[in-house]
Amino acid sequence: MAVLGNKKSKVSDEIPSSSMADIAFLLLIFFLVTTTFPKDKGLSLVLPEESEQIEVSQKNILHIIVNPDGRVVVRYGDSPQEQTVPADNLRSIWRQGVSENPNLIASVKTHPDASYRFMIDVLDALKAAGSNRISLGLLEG
Amino acid sequence: MGLKSGGLERKSKAATEIPSSSMADIAFLLLIFFMVSTVFQSDKNRQIEWANAEATEKMDEKQKDILNVWVESNGAVYINDLERTMDEVSDVVYPIFVGNPNLKISIRSDRNVAYNYIDQLQKELVSAGALKVVFATELEKSMTRQRR
Repeated sequence: MAVLGNKKSKVSDEIPSSSMADIAFLLLIFFLVTTTFPKDKGLSLVLPEESEQIEVSQKNILHIIVNPDGRVVVRYGDSPQEQTVPADNLRSIWRQGVSENPNLIASVKTHPDASYRFMIDVLDALKAAGSNRISLGLLEG
Repeated sequence: MGLKSGGLERKSKAATEIPSSSMADIAFLLLIFFMVSTVFQSDKNRQIEWANAEATEKMDEKQKDILNVWVESNGAVYINDLERTMDEVSDVVYPIFVGNPNLKISIRSDRNVAYNYIDQLQKELVSAGALKVVFATELEKSMTRQRR
């Protein structure tokens, strides 16, 4: 038994393959459980019904006008004073406005030629400020 | 082995157990078969530049409750991979909405489309009765916004 090459080990020199299927299933189940499909995401809104027309007094309206070049003009309902602001500032304007008047409604009027993304910027700022009373419309005249 | 009649006690040389070593292979075969033959119902992805929004939220609705309405940058509207004119939208959406009152419309519009189209689309959806809409956006990190 001095020659090492002749020594026969009792341990099998093959990798046990009977549990391979178990390992494969384990991996399969792991990936099945951890996979998440990309969910739809976006800014949700409920549109008004067709016949629904609510009279809102001017003092409860925050007019937001989106121009074709992306400028955002803000005007409180009953005041003639207009103010051009960056879309980001709408958050603080909305928060301040709603703390003064809890019934405030944001009326977003977008120019027909304005890019969709400018309207989304405004909607985003309002949503981020926690608003859910938003009216979307087309700027007329 | 004293009893020779009937052969009930005769030992067969074939193994009495069902061979289980190939069970995993059969399972994988079935798995792969179903994986290959399953078709997910989904629209073709259109060439759209998404609008970005920080307030983007994930929707919990089931996939079958969501109808995608694509608006390309030239104002073309696609529903279920078919191009529709703006006037057709309410006629197309209405039967789907009646079949599923929980329907939520995902407006997937190019960020540069003129708002005129979106407004028309909203009016069409309202006249079809589908009031729950989502303006599909990409999540924007506040960092990237500051840099812009």
